Amino acid sequence: MTALAAAGLIVVGAGPAGLAAARAATDAGVARVLVIERDDEAGGLPRFCHHPGFGWEYSYRFESGPGFIRRLLGALDRDRVQVLTRTTALALRPGPEIDIVGPACGAVTLKPQAIVLATGIRERPRAARLVPGRRPERGVLTTGQLQQMVARGVPVAGRRAVVIGTEHVAFSVLLTARRAGLQIVAMVDERDRVMSFPLLGMAVRHALGVPIHLATRVLDISGESRVDTVTLNGPAGVRRIACDTVIFTGEFVPDAPLARAGGVALDPRTAGPAVDQLARTNLPGVFAAGNVLRAVESSGFCAIEGASAGAAAAAFVRRQTEWNGTAAPIGLGTNLLYMVPQRWAFEPARQLLPASLRTRIDLDRARVLLRHGDEIVWQSLRRSLLRQRRIRIDLAGLPAGLRGTPRVITVDAVT
Amino acid sequence: MTARFDIAIIGAGVVGCAIAREFSRYRLDTILIEARSDLGDGASKGNSAVLSTASDTPYGTLECRLVTRGHERYRREAPGLGLPIVTLGGLTVAWTEAEAATLTAMQRAAVAAGFHDAVLVDAASVYARAPHLARGVVAGMWEPEEAIVDPFSTPYAYALDAVANGVELRSASPVTAARPVDSGWALSLPTGEIEAGLVINCGGLRADAVDALGGNTDFRIRARRGQFLVFDKSARPLLDAILKPVPNPASRGILITPTVFGNILVGPTAEDIDDVDDWRVTPDGIAQLERAAETLLPALLDHEVTTTYCGLRPGTEQPEYRIIPRPERRWITVGGIRSTGLSGALGIAEHVAGLAFDGMIEAARKTDIVPVRVPSLLDDGPRPWHEAARLAADAAYGEIVCHCERVTLGEIRDALASPVPPRSLKALKRRTRVMFGRCQGFFCGARVQAMFDAATTSEAAE
Ligand SMILES: Cc1cc2nc3c(=O)[nH]c(=O)nc-3n(C[C@H](O)[C@H](O)[C@H](O)COP(=O)(O)OP(=O)(O)OC[C@H]3O[C@@H](n4cnc5c(N)ncnc54)[C@H](O)[C@@H]3O)c2cc1C
Ligand SMILES: Cc1cc2nc3c(=O)[nH]c(=O)nc-3n(C[C@H](O)[C@H](O)[C@H](O)COP(=O)(O)OP(=O)(O)OC[C@H]3O[C@@H](n4cnc5c(N)ncnc54)[C@H](O)[C@@H]3O)c2cc1C
Repeated sequence: MTALAAAGLIVVGAGPAGLAAARAATDAGVARVLVIERDDEAGGLPRFCHHPGFGWEYSYRFESGPGFIRRLLGALDRDRVQVLTRTTALALRPGPEIDIVGPACGAVTLKPQAIVLATGIRERPRAARLVPGRRPERGVLTTGQLQQMVARGVPVAGRRAVVIGTEHVAFSVLLTARRAGLQIVAMVDERDRVMSFPLLGMAVRHALGVPIHLATRVLDISGESRVDTVTLNGPAGVRRIACDTVIFTGEFVPDAPLARAGGVALDPRTAGPAVDQLARTNLPGVFAAGNVLRAVESSGFCAIEGASAGAAAAAFVRRQTEWNGTAAPIGLGTNLLYMVPQRWAFEPARQLLPASLRTRIDLDRARVLLRHGDEIVWQSLRRSLLRQRRIRIDLAGLPAGLRGTPRVITVDAVT
Repeated sequence: MTARFDIAIIGAGVVGCAIAREFSRYRLDTILIEARSDLGDGASKGNSAVLSTASDTPYGTLECRLVTRGHERYRREAPGLGLPIVTLGGLTVAWTEAEAATLTAMQRAAVAAGFHDAVLVDAASVYARAPHLARGVVAGMWEPEEAIVDPFSTPYAYALDAVANGVELRSASPVTAARPVDSGWALSLPTGEIEAGLVINCGGLRADAVDALGGNTDFRIRARRGQFLVFDKSARPLLDAILKPVPNPASRGILITPTVFGNILVGPTAEDIDDVDDWRVTPDGIAQLERAAETLLPALLDHEVTTTYCGLRPGTEQPEYRIIPRPERRWITVGGIRSTGLSGALGIAEHVAGLAFDGMIEAARKTDIVPVRVPSLLDDGPRPWHEAARLAADAAYGEIVCHCERVTLGEIRDALASPVPPRSLKALKRRTRVMFGRCQGFFCGARVQAMFDAATTSEAAE
C-alpha cells in the first residue's frame, strides 16, 4: 500500500504508449512509477497480434506484437517501475487523484503528482455501426475479440468468415483467421476504395482469391445460435453470402471514458483528450499519450508519444516545469480532419509530442503550412496524402511566437 | 414411471416465472417448463423496462387492474429480491395544441380512474425536468411514480425464488403435445411425458400454439415488433425522466428513457409482423428511431449507440389480456400479455393463483420460505469492491473482467454457479451484463467465453 502511495507518477494502461512512458519517466529521474493495467497481463493490443510489424518507429525493429511488448517490458527499470495487472483505474479527479481496484491492491485512492493516460483504443462493434439484422449468439466479432480468442486458445469454431472493413487491421485479420482455421470468403467496405495500401487489396484479390466488395453495405445478418448468412447491397445488387462468422474491423475509437468522466476535455474531432505539445490535458498533472489521443496510429508511433509524455510528466513531477495553462489552440484548415497536439503552449519551444494530422480527402500533391497570424512559420510539400494515412510533421525548434497570435495549420492541394 | 406434478406451467417468461414463484408458496409439486435454453428469452427479453403504474392502460380492464396490483407488489417485494427500482417519473410531452388538448383529457381521465398523482405541467416545468428536450414543447403531464427496473433480473429473480422454494425448472424442453389423462394432462417433452393436474399456459408469443395443444382456439397471436436504440452511458446526463409522446390510437409511441444500467433507450417502434420469430432490427426501424431521437432529444446524436435490439409483443386480436380459466379442462390460459407484462406479472400471478384455487386445486400455504436475492446490476449501485470485507475475503471481486460494464471475475463466477445457471452466453450477459457495454466483447469477449465454456463443459462432465 505504502509502495503504491509512493509513486510520483501513475501510468494508466500498459500498452506500447504506457510502457514507453514509464521507461522515459525513470530515465528522466522519477523515483517511482506505478503502471496500472486492467487486463491479466501487460501489453495492450499488440499482445494478441502475432504477425510482424510492430514498433518500427520506436525501436527500428520490425517485431511481432508480443515481441515488441517483451522489448518494452525488458527495458523497464524494475526497481523503480511497478506494473500492476488485473487492476483498473475506476475514476479520475482533479488533484490529480485516481481510484483503482485490483485483486492485489483492493480498492484504493492514490494521489500521485502526475498521471499519464495511455488507455488506447477499441473497435466500433457491429451494434454501434447500426448494422441491421438479427443478433446471433455467436459468430459476430471484432478483430480485437477474434485475436484474443485465438491468442487465448478459445475456439472460434467457425469456417467461413466475412470481413467488414479494408483498413490495415482488416488485412491483419487475414493472418489471424488462418490461425483460427477460418476461410475469408469476402471483404466488404462501404467506402469506394480499399482503405489500406491498394497493393494489399490487389494481393488479397489475386493471390488469395478473396473477393472485395467496395461501396457495399451490410443489409442483414441472420442466424440464431450462430451466424448463417450475411446480405450485402452494393453496385452488383443484393447478394447473400453463406458464412458462420462476421468480423467487424477498424473504425477505431479512443477508449476514453475514464478521461471523459474525470473532466478531461476531449477534442470532438478525435474523441480523445485534447493535449498540448507536452502531452498535457486541461487537468493539471494529467497527461495523455498513445491511441487514446486519436484512432489510430502504429504501435511504434504510440510508443514515441508515450515516451514524450513520460518525459514531460517526469519534468513536472520533478518540478522542472510549471503547469502552464495558457496554451493556444491550433486552428485547422478545411481539408484537415484533426491534428494532435491540439494546443501549442508558449514555452521554450521544445516539442515533445510528434505532431500527427489526418486529411479529410485524398491529395496527390499538397502543401502543409503553419501560420502564426499572417506569417508562415513552417511549410512542407507532401505527396500522395491519403485520408487514412498519418501526416507526421516535426515542429521541433519552432519559435515560441507571440502570445495571442492565432496559429493555423492548413493542407492544400498544389497543381 | 411418469413424473406427476400438481401444476405444469408452460413458458418461463416473466409471467410464467412470476406464477411459478406464486405457487412455490404452497405445498404443491410445480414444474416450470421452458422451450428455450434459458428463461426470459422470449417477449420478456426485449422491452422498455418501465414499471408502469397502469395509468397508460385502458381503464376498467383486467389489464389495468392487474398492472396496478403488479406495480404495487413490485414496489413491496422487489427490494427483498435485490431488484432495483429507480423512480424517475414519467413526462408525457405535447408538441401541438391538439396534443395538449388530448393530454388534458388524458390527465382528467387518469385522475378519475384513481391515478391521482398525474398532473398537468406547463412548458417551463417540462424543460426544468428535461432541459435538453428539443424546443417547441406546448405542455406536459408529470407522473412521479413511473419507474425503471431491471428487465433481465426480474424473471431471473422470480425463477430463482421459485426454484429455491421447490419448483422444478426444466429448460430446453418444448412441450410438443398434450393428452388428457385422468384428472389432468400428459405433456410431451423431449425427454418423455410428464403428467400434471393443472396446466397453465404462459406461452407468450406461442400462447396460441400451446393452447391449441389442449384443444383451445380462442385467439391468435398477432406479434408486434418494437425496435430500440441504446445510447452510450455518456448520454445519461442528458435525461433524468421517462419521456413519452402523447399516444395515438395506433400506438403508445416512442419513449426516451434512461435504463437502470445507465444508458439512454429510444424506442419502441410498433410493427405488426407475421412471423413470431422475426427478431430483426431493420433499416427502417433504425431510421425511425434516429429521427425520434433527433426531434425529441437532439443532443443524443452526439453520443455513440451502444447497441440495437428488438422485442416482440405477444398481442392478440384484442387489446385485453387473455386470461381464461377452464376448470372443467384443468387448464388456464394466460396469453396476450402484450405490452405491460413486466409491470403486471406479480398482479397476474396472484390473479391466476386465485383462479386455480377457485375449485381447480387446493393446497396449504408454506410457512418456511427460503429467501433469495439477485445481485444488483444497477449502474450507480454498490459494486462488490465497495465492501472492503467482501473484497478482502475474495480477491475475485476486485478483478474487473468486463471493463465497459465493470463486471468482476467474482460476479461472473457466481452467476455461472447459480442454482438457475445461464445456459447460453446471452443468458450470462443478461445475468451479469458482461459484453453488454460499448465494446460488445472487444476487450472481454474471449475471457468471458472461456469462462462460460469451462463452466458448461465441467457441468456436462458431471
Ligand atoms: C488487429 C490489430 C492489428 C494491428 N497491427 C499493427 C501493426 O501491424 N503494426 C503496428 O505498429 N500497430 C498495429 N496495430 C496498432 C497497435 O496495436 C496500437 O497502435 C497500439 O496498441 C497502441 O498502443 P497504446 O499503448 O496507445 O494502446 P493499447 O495497446 O490499446 O493499450 C492500452 C492499455 O490500456 C489499458 N487500459 C485502458 N483503460 C484502463 C483503465 N481504466 N485501467 C487500467 N488499464 C486500462 C488497456 O487494457 C490496454 O492494455 C494493430 C492494432 C490492431 C487492433
Ligand atoms: C417492445 C416492447 C416493449 C415493452 N415494454 C414494456 C414495459 O416498459 N413495461 C412492461 O411492463 N412491459 C413491457 N413490455 C411487455 C412485456 O415485455 C411482455 O408483456 C412480457 O414480456 C410477456 O411475458 P410472457 O411471459 O407472457 O411471454 P414470454 O416472455 O414470451 O414468455 C413465454 C415463454 O414461453 C415459452 N414457450 C412457448 N411455447 C412453449 C412450449 N411449447 N413449450 C415450452 N415453452 C414454451 C417461450 O419460449 C417463452 O420463453 C414490452 C414488450 C415489448 C415487446
